[in-house]
Order: sequence, then C-alpha cells, then structure tokens
Amino acid sequence: MTGIVIAGATRTFGTVRAVDGVDLAVGDGEFFTLLGPSGCGKTTLLRMIAGFCELDAGEIKFGDRRIDRLPAHTRDIGMVFQNYAVFPNLTVAGNVAYGLKARRVSGAELARRVEEALGLVQLAGYGERWPHQLSGGQLQRVAIARALVIRPQVLLFDEPLSNLDARLRVSMRSEIRDLQKSLGITAIYVTHDQEEAMSVSDRIALMQSGRLEQVGPPAEIYRNPTSRFAAEFMGTTNLVEARALGGDRAGLVSLRPEALRLAADAPADWPQVGGKVAHVEVLGPITRFDVRLADGSLLKVATLDAPHLTPAPGAEVTLAYDPARITVLP
Amino acid sequence: MRLAIPHQQRLPLAIAALGFLFLGLFLLYPLFNVFSASVLDGEGEKFTFANYVKILGRPFYRGAVVNTLAIGLAATITTILVAVPLAFALARLPVPGKAAIIALAAMPLVLPSFVSAYAIVLLLGRAGVVTQWLQSWGIGFGSIYGAGGIVLVYTLTLYPYVLLPTMAAFKAVDVSVEEAAQSLGSSPRRTLWTVTLPIVIPAILAGGLLVFIETLENFGVPFVLAEDMPIFAVEAFKLFVGETAPNPSSAGVLGVLLIAMTSLVLLIQRRFLASRRFATGARAAPPILRVGLGLRVAASVYCWLVVLLALVPFFAIVVLSFMEFRGPVLHPNFSLANFAALFERSMRPLLNTLLFATLAAIGVTLVGVPIAYVVTRLRSGLASLLDVVATLPFAVAGTVLAIGFVVSFNSGWLILTGGPLIMVLVYTVRKVPFAVRSSSAILHQIDPSLEEASISLGRSPLQTFGRILVPLMLGGILSGFVLTWVTIASELSATVVLYSGQWRTLTVVMFQALEGGGGGIATAAASTLIIVTLVPITLLYRLVRRYELAT
Repeated sequence: MTGIVIAGATRTFGTVRAVDGVDLAVGDGEFFTLLGPSGCGKTTLLRMIAGFCELDAGEIKFGDRRIDRLPAHTRDIGMVFQNYAVFPNLTVAGNVAYGLKARRVSGAELARRVEEALGLVQLAGYGERWPHQLSGGQLQRVAIARALVIRPQVLLFDEPLSNLDARLRVSMRSEIRDLQKSLGITAIYVTHDQEEAMSVSDRIALMQSGRLEQVGPPAEIYRNPTSRFAAEFMGTTNLVEARALGGDRAGLVSLRPEALRLAADAPADWPQVGGKVAHVEVLGPITRFDVRLADGSLLKVATLDAPHLTPAPGAEVTLAYDPARITVLP
Repeated sequence: MRLAIPHQQRLPLAIAALGFLFLGLFLLYPLFNVFSASVLDGEGEKFTFANYVKILGRPFYRGAVVNTLAIGLAATITTILVAVPLAFALARLPVPGKAAIIALAAMPLVLPSFVSAYAIVLLLGRAGVVTQWLQSWGIGFGSIYGAGGIVLVYTLTLYPYVLLPTMAAFKAVDVSVEEAAQSLGSSPRRTLWTVTLPIVIPAILAGGLLVFIETLENFGVPFVLAEDMPIFAVEAFKLFVGETAPNPSSAGVLGVLLIAMTSLVLLIQRRFLASRRFATGARAAPPILRVGLGLRVAASVYCWLVVLLALVPFFAIVVLSFMEFRGPVLHPNFSLANFAALFERSMRPLLNTLLFATLAAIGVTLVGVPIAYVVTRLRSGLASLLDVVATLPFAVAGTVLAIGFVVSFNSGWLILTGGPLIMVLVYTVRKVPFAVRSSSAILHQIDPSLEEASISLGRSPLQTFGRILVPLMLGGILSGFVLTWVTIASELSATVVLYSGQWRTLTVVMFQALEGGGGGIATAAASTLIIVTLVPITLLYRLVRRYELAT
C-alpha cells in the first residue's frame, strides 16, 4: 500500500493557525494516531489529507504522488466519520456498494465484495436492512465496511468511537486495529482519548496548538514525555519540583503515580519521601491516594489493590519511588 | 500550477454565478428600470426628481401612503390578537381535534385572499346575501367596503402567518423554565405573562411582520374592497395602465416607494429580531395544561370558530357559484350556468393557469434548491450576498416587479412582453425566496459529513448533489413544489399587469368579471381556483401521511 509524507502543512482560519507547519512521515501499513485536546488541529490535518480542507502552504504525498491539489473524490481514501455518515436513503448493502459503483464495479463482483466487506465487520446478512433499523455500533460497522470495501490507499478515522458507549468503544477499537493490520492499509486515526490512542496505535503524534508536540510509539511518549504538556496529557502524572523529592537540581520532573509505592512495599534502594495521606480512593483493581509533602505539594499514588497496605486518610506515610522513572522536563 | 479556487468550492461557486446571473437579469435589472423610470422625465431622457415632487405633492397619493400603512398596522394588530390566543390554546390547552384544526388553519395560506374578499362582498356587500336577509328583518350594519372590510379579510386570511410560528414557539418553550418560575413563587398566570409570553414574543413579531409586508404588497383585496379609497399597490397598477408617456415615471415612483416601505420593514426585522431569539432548547414539548371545564370549552369553541370563520368565505363562494346570477344580482336557484359561461368561450384560462403554475413551480425548484445549497454550504460573503438577493423578491410587490419586467423586456435584445414566458419568469422570481427558505431548512438538517462521505468514496460534488442530497431532500422539495404551484395558480398582482390576449389565467378572468360586474363568471372562476388549489394540497397531505406511516 502507501506511506504518507506531510511536509510543512499549514492552514490558518482567520487569525488562528489551525495547523502550523506540520512535518510527518507515516509508514506503509502503519496505524498512526493524531492525538490531542479539542482545537489542537488534529481534525484539520486529517481533513487536509482527505481533501476537505485546503492547505495554505506545504504538501502531502501518498508514496511518491503528491495529492494535496487533487479533488477529494479522486484521492482514493476510505474515511470513517465521527457521526457514522451512513446514507439514510440507502440500505446497508447500498451504502457499502456506493464507493464500488463510483468505481464502476458491478454485477457479481459488486455483490461478492459487498458481502465480503459486511462479513469482515460481522454484519453478514444485514445487507437489506435500513440504517434506521441499526444500533450506533452497527452503523459504525457499516461505515467501516463502506470505507474498506473500496480497498483505499489510506484509511482515515475521525474520532470514530466517540459516539459509542464506553464498553463498545473498548471492543470496537481492537476490532478496528485487527482489521487494519490484517488488510495492511495505512491508517490515520484521530482521537482525543489518550487510552484509545495508546491501545490502537503503532505510533502517536501528540498535537497542541496546530503543532506536533511529540511523535513516537505510545509507550515511549508515556514513559519519556519531552514536555510538560506531553507528560500531563498522556495519563496522570505528578509534576513536582525536583527538590521536593530530595534532588539537588532545580526544575520540574514528572513522576507517574504508579512509580510511587509505600516504602514498606518497595525495594530498599529506592529514594524515600514522607507525607500525610490526604485522600484515598479504592477503585477496585487499583487504589489511588494523595499524599501531602512537607512543602505542601501533593503526590498522586496508584497501587494495585492490597487490603493490608491501604493507608487511612490522615495517616503519616513514607513513600518510595523508582528513580529510573523520573523524567526531567525542560 | 496552484489553482485559485479550492475543489470543494467549485460547485457552489458555479451555482452562485448562475444564480447571480438569473437574479441579476430577472430581478435586479427590472427593479433598476423601475427606479430609473422614477427619476427620468416623461420622455425617459432627463434626470429629475420632479416625479417624486409631483406624486408626493398630491394629497391623493399621500393619502394612499397613510391608508396603506394604517390598514397594514391595524391588520397586523388584529391578526396578532386573534392568532396568539389560538396558538396558545393549540400548544398548551386540551382542545379536541387539534390535528384537524391545524390542517384547516393552514389553508388560508394557500387560498387566494382576493377570493375571500370577493366572498365578503357577495355576503355582506350592498347587495350581499346576508345584508339583504338582515335588511328584510330590519337590521342594518356598517359598510363592509373600505378599511374595515380590508382589515377583516386580512385578519381572516393572514392569521396563519402569526399562528404557525407562535404555536411552534409555545411548543419549544422548555417547561423547566416555567417550573423554575413557579418554584420561585410565581403563580401560573403570572408565569404565563412574565416567562412564557416574553419567550415567544420574537416569534409573534416575526409572524406579524410577515403579515404587515403581505398587506403592503397585496393588490387583490383592496382592489375588491377599497372602492374609492386610495391604496398603494392598486394605485401603482392604475397609474401604470393609464400612463400614456413613453416613460412610466409616476408608476415608477409608487413602485420605488412601495419597495422602500417593505424593505424598511424587512430591515427592521433583520436588525431587531435576528438577535432576539430566545431558544430554550426544549427536549420535549411542554405538557398540556390542566384547566377547568369552562376554560376548556371556551378554548375549544374559540379555536374551531376562528378556523371555520376564515374558511366560510371560500365555502360560500363555492356554493354561490352554483346559483343563478342576473348581472351582479343573485337568485337562489341551483344553476350550472356560471360554469357554462366561464368555459364555453374557452378552456384556455384554466389550461393557462395549470401550465404557468407547473412551469413556474419547476423553475422555482430549479433556481431555489441550488441557491439554498450554496447559502447553507458555502460560508462566505458571497453566499450571504446571494441569500440577500434571493430574499429580495419578498420585499417587492408583484405589481412592481411586473411593471419592471414590462419596462425592461418590451424592446431591445430580449422581448418578452405579450407572451407567456414573461409571466412564468415573474412567478418564478417572486417565489424563489420561499423555495430558498424551505430548502435551506431541509439542508440544515442534513449533516455535511454525508456529502464528505460520498465524495471520499469517489463521487464528485455534482454527483454527490444528485445521488445523496436530492434523494434526501425529495420530500421537502415535493411539498415546496406543490405549495409554490398552488400560490402561483392564484397569483393576481403581477398577472393583471402582464397578461395579454390568449394568455389570460383564471385570476384574470375573475378580475375582468369583477370589473365588468359579471358576478356569475367571477364566482365560477373563483370556485374553480379553489378546487385547483385544494386538489394538489390534499394529494400532498395524503402522500405525506402515507410516507410518515411507512417510516
């Protein structure tokens, strides 16, 4: 299939630089995610690739072919929309056949490919149903089948799961990843949900204010955030002055809650810090508690549920942390 | 080479260009000619304001301005007084047969108002049926001619303009706002006055302004009822027909003044109402109030009385058309003579009416739907400008637009006067604003991502328009088509300026019969018009019902 190269992509709306000089290379067959808060430019960048948003400057290539000046309908893209965008005036089969008919596929070939695509998304036999008879999850499956069936060069997902309920979201995201990997189509996926991004992606581009904040595999961004924004957006973290942890340098460090433990439960060579438990939440598998240090700052701690070790609010505790998991932020 | 126009904007821009071309030639150019006629001398050569001085210097025409505005204002007030309680009752009170009442209440919108005016004359005029019957009992009443009768007919025929938006607004009031007021200690009555009514006032005013503009532009009702009282649209017509100089400067002056008045009202609406929309975003319609038996009976009687009273004139015309007329005098015998007299000379007027309405409704759809697409999908100053231009015909009385057409297309490279095309074009231009409004409303409901999905699957924007948007809009386009068709079939104000020879329509026949005192033919033409109007509406209603049941 195709890799995607984006160079210097820029778009301004009024005075706002929605996308500001983005350079990006997505590998052939890669599952690549644009992650960031709303308004960070991730959707604009996706719509640039799809052809629904013009570039003020820069270029986009599929492989060696420059596509940013092609009309959207000639770019050979499969796009899955946040609100499904299933055509209400066509049956499920009619929806899936839509792009094939535009490519002049007809007859037995058309029927075979439609049925095959519906099978891929576990909707075999649903072809004659109408969209209004389907649930949200089924509608999104139709939308995915409709995008896959044309065997596009690139698959684009615009927050495809955000209208589904939490449980369905979790199962659908692994389904989407499995489908993408089995077909080997390069995919770009937009989401604001950090956990979803980490679960599906080969690599993530974390975006803020139209720029790329950090690009890398999910675990790398989580473990080695290069900025305060990256550390805070990718899950929960403690941003503390290095001195509060007994360090000798000034500056902020990031320390994940799960890198902290009660000293009694930690290896002996981990540095220790003392404080008073301010708040405890037992969430089931995980227990979270906040500890107020001597200088007044608050440390968030997360441990697996351990009944005999759960501290009580108000108790004085000694914490220990993994020194290898301290990330110094610029 | 970098292309200047983004791909996804090419189709809307191409449509916008065609739209400007059409409206420029058949709206702005005729209006410009009306304006220039008003500032040129009788020979059409020298620039002058003398026409304005001459017209406004005469008490007769100053009287016309005052009469027109006063009648419009009075009719707007009476309409609001009638329609707002009706809207409240239909939205919030337990009234039996609501669906029927609402269906009946919408009918005056499509029935020709001058027919209602004529029926009032036949019933309550000097030789009217009711007048004579009352006189035989020794009871007399004031004259129906003049301002009183005109306001009465306007109220009976235009009240749906206030009723429908106000009812919708009452239903859109979030009931939790009322509950909040009552939990703060406000009585239900006080809540109605201090919370509910203020929320719906913008809707009432919007409807009221529509009524006001309709009265300013209306030609038929004052023509039938005003007698010697000068009314603007009628005097513009009379001046135009009577003018002998090559340049119709006096009619031009009245036309410009009329456009100025309606535009002013529209501007006021845009300025003050656009920012005053108290959308409360109710998820469900507020509940029907529980009221005592007395109020319930009173509300039911009131609702049924208003909707039926508004339809009595039309019913009466149909009945009277089957009676014997000798000249203008009515005799209570059943007779088909009126219809025989109407159709014996020619079926052409009926056929012309059907033909023009069909052609113009097709034209309106072909012009209005694409313009609505541009207005809703292209976010730019160009789209807003097109929206304004496409709304402009609403502020132009039919008489004035028709005068502009005659002045513009009676010589030169494009000659249309004397033929049928000029009528079809004027009808089309007049109804474009309604098609744009209704199509925009549908397009706003269609998520743009459906179009993007179609385009990303390989269909061009034009193919997407045909394969996705048109099917999705079909129901709305069809009902818009029928409503346009019906209102064009009973168009009078532009028709009387434009008709010629064999291209007379039913409304012209009725108009001429009224002038000549041929009451029989007038009633036959009127009741044929009513039937021509009601058949498609009924078919549409049944079609919509079946469609709703199917989905």
